[in-house]
Amino acid sequence: MTTLPRNSTSEHDRMEHAGAGRYWIVWALLLLGTLVTLLLSRVHLPSPFHLLVALFIACAKSALVVLFFMHLWDHGGANRLVFATSLIFVVLLIGLIVLDNASRFALTNPGHGRTLDMEPPGPDILTPRGPPEPAARPPSGPEMQPEPGAPVRPPGR
Amino acid sequence: MSQSLATTPPAPADAPAYNPRNYLNAEAGIASWLLTRDHKRIAVMYLVVTTLSFALGGFYAMLIRIELLTPGPTIMSAMSYNRMFTLHGVVMIFLFMIPAIPGVFGNFFLPLMLGARDVAFPRLNLLSLYLYAIGAAIAVYGMIHGGADTGWTFYTPYSTTTVTKVVPILLGAFVLGFSSILTGLNFIVTTHTLRAPGMSWMRMPLFVWSIYATSVIQILATPVLGITLLLVAFEHAFGWGIFDPARGGDPILFQHLFWFYSHPAVYIMVLPAMAVMSEVIQASARKNIFGYKAVAFSSLGIAFVGFFTWGHHLFTSGQSTLDAGIFGVLSMFVGIFTAIKVFNWTATLYEGAVKFTTWFAYFCGFLFFLVFGGMTGIALATVSLDIHWQDTYFVVAHFHFIMVGSVIMAWLAALHYWWPKMFGRLYPEGWGLVSAVLIILGFNATFIPQFLLGNYGMPRRYYSYPERFWPLNVASTAGASLLAFGFTIILVYLAISLRWGKVAGPNPWGSRGFEWDTLSPPPTENFLENPVYTRGPHDYTEAPEGAEVTHAT
Repeated sequence: MTTLPRNSTSEHDRMEHAGAGRYWIVWALLLLGTLVTLLLSRVHLPSPFHLLVALFIACAKSALVVLFFMHLWDHGGANRLVFATSLIFVVLLIGLIVLDNASRFALTNPGHGRTLDMEPPGPDILTPRGPPEPAARPPSGPEMQPEPGAPVRPPGR
Repeated sequence: MSQSLATTPPAPADAPAYNPRNYLNAEAGIASWLLTRDHKRIAVMYLVVTTLSFALGGFYAMLIRIELLTPGPTIMSAMSYNRMFTLHGVVMIFLFMIPAIPGVFGNFFLPLMLGARDVAFPRLNLLSLYLYAIGAAIAVYGMIHGGADTGWTFYTPYSTTTVTKVVPILLGAFVLGFSSILTGLNFIVTTHTLRAPGMSWMRMPLFVWSIYATSVIQILATPVLGITLLLVAFEHAFGWGIFDPARGGDPILFQHLFWFYSHPAVYIMVLPAMAVMSEVIQASARKNIFGYKAVAFSSLGIAFVGFFTWGHHLFTSGQSTLDAGIFGVLSMFVGIFTAIKVFNWTATLYEGAVKFTTWFAYFCGFLFFLVFGGMTGIALATVSLDIHWQDTYFVVAHFHFIMVGSVIMAWLAALHYWWPKMFGRLYPEGWGLVSAVLIILGFNATFIPQFLLGNYGMPRRYYSYPERFWPLNVASTAGASLLAFGFTIILVYLAISLRWGKVAGPNPWGSRGFEWDTLSPPPTENFLENPVYTRGPHDYTEAPEGAEVTHAT
């Protein structure tokens, strides 16, 4: 079997010259990231910033692991291209799902507190339920005002 | 173990054309097969297991069609019917269509086409076969012990609440995903590192280009499926609220994640089919491909654009209209790259010396199913039309045409085209053509009625139907029977040809594909001498003996 020669010596040399010190630094940074995540979990950031901050820290830690512990920092073209490509696809997946979630018809978007409180749709599904039927409406207008002293009926009964 | 059928010594008159020291008889005994690292032996084992899976999936399909022979109950209960279509889908997609062509023909021919001794990671290659077997065993266990009634898509929240055996089948699919990833990884590394001298990227056979593109999808998309299936299993087992709206989850999120894998998975199935056809068409026409670079890069284009289209499965599921519009437009781009291939294949036939072999018959069937299925796909990717057809038999017929039709045509074309190389024997050409005609007609008879049923409004996955749909369902079941008959013929004559088939010789088709440069069956080390490539694949300017056209334009 014959294979094409590959020039991977330079990458290998560079990896050999990288000292242990930088792994300790990366490890310390990872611990710091974990600590910050823990501390921020006790701080009540307004939504959606709590999620964004947590995701940012997680992404930063992942990047450190991939770049240094998995040696992407020392590798050249093809491996970086593969990593960049995979990042593009992660962004694509998350981006289009978030876009859907943000632009979706509200009633099909469960999990939001406001959604759960909303009334079910009326006969025309695209418009929220209109005002109640006249028979169920509370009396209004001067001719429907109860006489002074009469007992007030609760609305809708 | 005694000698395999394929290694039976040929008749003395044929002996000079047969390679007696081949990979099939290099070692003897079951252990030599189970522990082999030879990509060719692994490919043959893939051929056995995927064919068994195909037979199992086909058995479920026949049960479904028999049940639908009458409008009411025919042979099974409604619950059994739900299980049958789920098992049919799971087996056919995860156990047959995804691994069949890469596992069998990719494994066998990718190293041969690159001039390599083996794949880059032979042990990993064997592991991927074992993972396939383990995943299949787990899934089949789930099928025997209760089955699942969710459909192969496992849509939540039903899949997280049903009492049927969803978890083992999910776990089986999860393990199968690892097998798929390892195979893809092996092919990518092999293509990058094990090309023989002279094998530049622009000299690689188009089969390799398409398998390479498939491998990229396998590596990028399959992990998403694995994670998604695990989430469903956890939600099913522990009641997490990820996808179940009653617990604050979002069922549409499942559909996003599932189709982010499963739509590109269509190209995991179809790109290898295209890979086969790119080889077959050149050998058929005895010409090199029209527009090599366009066909090669369109494979990568399909792999790339295939990731941008998953949302067209969610048009009526509650996805936002903005996303639906975006996905509708993006879906059209796949048609462009597919059209590049179709036009180049047909242009290759121009002024070619076409010999109507069995594999060329399958190419014709493939072209019809790909174009017809693809065009109905373009229609389905139009939101307004999809609202009418969503979840009807029109969709069922569409994806059977584009996925199943094209994959089966390519699988059978590859089986016939490369059979002499793999086993050193020729199949009976007359029976090959008879079965090809039966299968192509049977496939049309099965699924064209389903296009009509869907357009008339018959929903998919229904156990019973109004009587007005009866005649078309009978036609569909009759077509399925024809298909089964055709496959049985193939199984019989290929089995017979292993022992009694005429000895093929190294290159019975006069093909200029690189894999034909070695003996039939190939020796364990693939080539007797280290190959050096000085020409592109299928260069018929200096045609070998048997070629009818001496030019390559």
